[in-house]
Parts: sequence; C-alpha cells; structure tokens
Amino acid sequence: MTFTRVTTLLAVVASAHLTLAQELTGDGGMPPFSPVTWERLLNAADEPQNWLMYSGTFDGQRFSRLDQIDTGNVDGLKLVWAHHIPQLDRNETTPLVVDGVMFITESPSNVTAVDAATGRPYWRYEHELPDDLRVCCGRNNRGVAILDETLYMSTLDAHVVGIDARSGSLLWNTEVANYQEGYSKTAAPLIVKDKVITGIAGGEFGIRGFLDAYDAKTGTRDWRTYTIPGPDHPDNRSWAGDSWRTGGSPTWITGSYDPELNLIYWGTGNPGPDYKGDIRGGDNLYADSVLALDGDTGEMSWYFQFTPHDVHDWDAIQIPVLADIEVDGKPRKAMLWANRNAFYYTLDRETGEFLVGKSFARQTWAEGLDDNGRPIRRPGKLPTVEGTLVAPTAGGATNWWSPAFSPRTGLLYVNAFDGEANFYIRDEEYTAGDRYTGGGTDAPLPIDNYMSAIRAIEPATGDIRWEFPMEARSRAGVLATAGDVVFSGTVDGYFYALDARTGEELWHIALGGRMNASPMTYAVGGRQYVTMPSGNVVYTFALDN
Amino acid sequence: MGNWKPSHVGTLPLAMILLLGLTFWGARADAQETENPFTGPVDVRIGERLFEAQCSNCHGLAGTGNPEAGGPDLTTGRFRTASTDAGLFRVVREGIPGTSMIGIKRNSSDQAVWQVVTYLESLNPADSLDNLPGSATAGRQLFEGKGNCGRCHIVNGSGGRLGPDLSQVGERRPQTDLRSDLTDPNAEVDPRWWTLTVTQEDGSVVQGLRMHEDSFSLRLMDEQEGLRSFSKSQIRSFERDKNSTMPAYRSLTATEQDDLITYLLNLRREQ
Repeated sequence: MTFTRVTTLLAVVASAHLTLAQELTGDGGMPPFSPVTWERLLNAADEPQNWLMYSGTFDGQRFSRLDQIDTGNVDGLKLVWAHHIPQLDRNETTPLVVDGVMFITESPSNVTAVDAATGRPYWRYEHELPDDLRVCCGRNNRGVAILDETLYMSTLDAHVVGIDARSGSLLWNTEVANYQEGYSKTAAPLIVKDKVITGIAGGEFGIRGFLDAYDAKTGTRDWRTYTIPGPDHPDNRSWAGDSWRTGGSPTWITGSYDPELNLIYWGTGNPGPDYKGDIRGGDNLYADSVLALDGDTGEMSWYFQFTPHDVHDWDAIQIPVLADIEVDGKPRKAMLWANRNAFYYTLDRETGEFLVGKSFARQTWAEGLDDNGRPIRRPGKLPTVEGTLVAPTAGGATNWWSPAFSPRTGLLYVNAFDGEANFYIRDEEYTAGDRYTGGGTDAPLPIDNYMSAIRAIEPATGDIRWEFPMEARSRAGVLATAGDVVFSGTVDGYFYALDARTGEELWHIALGGRMNASPMTYAVGGRQYVTMPSGNVVYTFALDN
Repeated sequence: MGNWKPSHVGTLPLAMILLLGLTFWGARADAQETENPFTGPVDVRIGERLFEAQCSNCHGLAGTGNPEAGGPDLTTGRFRTASTDAGLFRVVREGIPGTSMIGIKRNSSDQAVWQVVTYLESLNPADSLDNLPGSATAGRQLFEGKGNCGRCHIVNGSGGRLGPDLSQVGERRPQTDLRSDLTDPNAEVDPRWWTLTVTQEDGSVVQGLRMHEDSFSLRLMDEQEGLRSFSKSQIRSFERDKNSTMPAYRSLTATEQDDLITYLLNLRREQ
C-alpha cells in the first residue's frame, strides 16, 4: 500500500468517524466530544449544557443554569429515552454529560457511554471483580469524574481506574487499598488540577479511613491524608488505646473544592465499631467531620466535627455545599451542611468557624448545639444491650444523597427523614476484613408510621421555609435549576418537580422503581433534558420539541 | 464434623496428608448436604449470640428485618433463598452473590454456621400442634357459626376480604399472638389493615381499608369491597385510622377462645 493510498484511507475513515459522531449525538450541528480541560471544569457552570462532575460544579450546589424547563411548563415533561442496567442492584449513579455523550456508571463497577439525546450506547467498560468481595451496603457505584479525555472510576475492590472516554479502554488500574481488609470504593472521584481525589469506604469493617490524590495521567499516588491521625499527632489521643487502628472514618461520598481558597472539602464517616463506643473513648477525631485540605498537598487546614464520639452511625457523608451568603449582615464564604445527625450547620469555609446550627428533622438525642456547634447530648440516649430508642435512625435524618442550593432562591433543599430506631450494642471481636459494628438497630414500628420530606432551609438562620412530605423513606437526592424547579424522587417510584420558591408540586410521574440516586440535567442541540435513575433503569425526560 | 482439622500434620507421610486433605474437604462438603448436627437448646443460644453479633445489623436484633439496612424479616417461617437446612447453611456461610448479603465471618467453624441455622429455625413462629388448648373441630364450628369470622376472613379460598387471609395463619402467628388478636385487635395492626377516610373535593366521604398509600396517591377497598384509587392532589383531605376494624372478642368464654385458637393454629399448608 502506497503512502497516498494510506492517507486517502485515513481521510475516509476520519470523515466517516466525524459523520458517525455527529449522527450519534442526534444533532449534526453539534461540536463533537472535546477534551474536558481543567479550565472547563473550573468554569463548569458556564456550560450548563454539560454536567462535568458528580455535583455539576465544584461548589457542590447541584444547581443548573438551564431554564428551558421552568415552573410554567414542567408539567409538559415527556419520557425521551430509558437505559436499562443489566444488574439489579441499587442504582445510585449520577451520570456525566460531555458534548452530547453521557457516561453512566452501573452496578457493580461498570461504566457505559451513551448518546445523551437518544440513550443509545457507544461502549461499556466492565471491571473484573474478585469473587470474595465483602461490602457493607450493596454493590453500588455513584459516578465517574473526567479530565481531558479520561474517565476516573472507583471500583468495589478498592481500586481506581482510568478509562478512555472515547473508547472505554482501560488506561490504568491502581489498587487504593486491600479489599480483603474490608476496604471498598463506591463514590465518584473529584478532579483537582491534574489529580484525581478519591475516598474510601469500609466504615463497618474496621478500616482506617483516608483521602487520596492520584496523578491523572499515570494513576500513581501523589498524597494520602488519613482521616484518623497517627500516634505522632496530638489528635490521636482522641482515641482510647489502639482503637484508632480500626476506627473507620471513611470518605465514601464526593467532596467539593474552592479554587480561590485552593481547599478541598470532604466529609468523613462513622467511627468504628459503629455502636459500641466504650472501646474507643474520646472524641474520635476526625470521624463524622468535614475536613478542609490543601488542594496541592492534602495537608489539613481545618476540621469541624459534627458528632464527637458518635455511637449512632451518623456519618458526615454529605456533599459540602459552598455558597457565598450573608449571615448576620456580614458576607461569608459559607459551607451549608444538613447532617445525618438531624442538625443543619452553616460554617465559614475559610476558617471552619461555626455560624448557624439548628435541627432540620426530628431528633431526641441532643438539647441543641453550643456556641461552637458541639452537640449538647441528652442523657440516656446511648445504645444499650436492651436497646435505646433514639431519633434519628442510623440511616439518619439525611444521608449521602445530594442536597441542592439555588442561588436564585437562596435556599438549600434537603431530603429529610423523621424516623427513630432502637440502638443496641453487642460484643464483637475485630477480624481483618469482616464486619465490625458492635451492635445494630431495630425499627420499633412499620415504616408507614414515619415520613420523609424535602425541606427548604434558609442558610442564614437554619429556619425551614417550606416542606414537601413524602412516604418514608426516600433515598433520592435533589436538583435545583434556574427554571426555579426542584426535582427529586420517592421511595415509591415517583419522579417529581416542585416550585423552588413555594414547594408546590408541579409535576410527577410514576416510574415504579425505588429511587436511590440524585437527578441531573443537561442539554443537547438546545433541548434541556432531566435524568433520574429509578430501579435499575436510567430515565431521561424533556419537553416536546 | 466439618470443623475437624488434622493436627500434627508435619509428622505424617505425604499420602496420609493427601488422604486427610480429601477427607477434610469431603467432610466439609458433606456438612452442607447432611442434616444439621447441632440442634440442641444450647446450640440455639449460641446461634442467637452469633446472630446478634454478626447478622442483626441488617436483620434486626430479633431477626424481624431492618427496612433501612434492607435485611428481610427472618421470622416468618419462610426464607426467600433457601428451603432446607443445607440451603440455609450455604447462605449463612457464603452470603448471596450479587446482593448486599455477605456471609458470616470467614474464620467461623461449620459448627458455628449450623448453630446460626438452628437459631434461624427457632425464629419460626409456628407453635407445635402438640398439647393444644382446645378442640379444632369446635373452633371451626365457632369460626364458621356464631363467630361469623368468615364474613371478613378467607380460609382456603372462601370467606370475606375485609380482614387478613387466615389460610396459613398457624404458620405465622403463635398462640399468644392469636389470643391477643382476638381480645385486643388494636395492639398490633399491620398498616395494610388501617382505615383511610377520604374527603373528596365535593365534600363526599369515602372510607375503606388502606390497600396501598404512596407519596402521591391512595388506594383503598371501600365498604362495598370496591377498589378505589385517589390522587392526593385531587382530594380535599384524608385521614388514617391505625386501629383495627375487627371487634374485640372478649365475650368469648375461655373454652371458646381455646377452641378458636386451636382451630387457627391448625390452619397450615398441607404437609
């Protein structure tokens, strides 16, 4: 074959590829998939047609500037396509959308790329997993991160992988921790500059938590910050004896990032064993906290612990929501946090200073928060051998599913639960890689006796502006848009839209399957879409053309 | 049996080691296929202790399930994924692949696994049919005659729909619970048997048994056994009554209660 013939053939192939790409996007005039640079990630809010990271933008607001779908027309939403996931496990994914291509993670540790306008597939990457995995809470994955043309995904065997976004080919595969010691990974990583920031799960298996940064090109580890300090650090004394070695404090949901302050914010989970706290006397730092870490080195700038010496499994595994608001007449770079322990907090994200705190859901364990935001515990609420009735439940007043903040309304939207449980303790020996909880919980009444709700919280006061009640217990996150619409889902299979200012119901559709994920929105060819997983199907809606 | 391990292996010739190894694995496999060798009262207590430490986080302290953690109720006398002791052994040992259910601690002995199986079997609420307090025949006459229980309850395909189907009630309700059901029916009412009162937009009222309620709608069976469905946004209001619609049968004599309970305890699947 001559050089001329080769170049002609390449030109034909390239031309066919371009035509195919345009056709597959469902919009011949749309630019094809282009690399997602660090600059694009920094300015993700300016390209609302794309959803470039787990929470949409680095501030964790899960707010979109798209406004084609608004309070006046949302009741005209129609199903456009559905993507069926082969596995039946809980579907907790938030897809990414880049220039008309959607990336959906699937149980257990797979990812597929589809045309975002039609739902039709390009490729699927299936991660090979060992047979002897032991994970606490299902074989789930919540999403990928992207930088340039590479996707980054956590896997259940505690690896992080780099995958070519155009072809689905594996580029690198790095072991983060030994899964046989109880470590696993489920959360979407976060890109900060040229690094992949990613956490770890395993708080029910006696792990020692950490947050890692990996080189995005090579997958080699750049830094690790343990969420339980070692014996060379004074805060290690917040753990009795050697309990810090098996103290949990995992990092199993995605954090946020402030580029101006160059701080990464990340929540930490429960100390272990979950319920039997007498063997880990002390505050158990930095479990159930938010950590502010240097974006280049991972060095800790400050921490705030929501639940010192937790014995109710109230992980601070929520999305740190960053917003610039006014508190007591003073502008603040704030962090908004509705916690699993039933208290809402506003913190100063530069310093970690506690600004506002108030319960946003039913709780019986604390009189309130003191001036520093530390809970004032009520006596008689610790787990016992016989069981102690406490609100909220171990699953908490909220959990990992995303809240949303609308800069247009100034409200934080949270999926809340007013439940209660009997907490009990049991003796349990630690064995590496096995469950290590030291007790559990029982439901005193059928779940029909309790209620979930979307609550709209004013960050400057912690007051609840409105609520929208649902059957218990909803496990869906919330999306807010510039159309002043709030989207969420129910445990009984509804996807719905509320007026962001009033909480009035505007639209709902029965999809049938329980919702365990957070909705997201994007646009292709000038048409806005809204996506929500239900059961093991990913549904996408839009207005009629 | 399956917990047996060779000792002083280092002093044995290779052929003997191989033989013992085969015997060991054979014994382990056999353990999962044979009947449970650990079924005494002590085994129940040890199994309970193991269950509380390792299983109750998802299945509840009493094994009644945990809707938040997702572990199902194990006290109904029926297991979704196993119908024999050997099947239960495998589930307890290995978990259920592709689900959240993981097996017992990996270093647990076969004896420990069997003891958990024994404890799970003990959670079966069905009372023994030995030494029942009354006469099943007299109880049936009371059920079908003076008690008029069939007006609301189906037994073996015939009866009313306004109360739970009692065809296999003897498998799921022990004697004490049945006695409480008769004399104090409000003590424990499944949400399926709550009463809903719906006030429609025109002010008319519909009342019925709560067949299902979700975040946006209600479905009930009205007094004429009609199936009615309402959108919550298209009614004026609704109320839940968490009491039972069944009257308290306190006027029954002690003998009548015993007879009725004996009849109900005998309502089981055909063996």
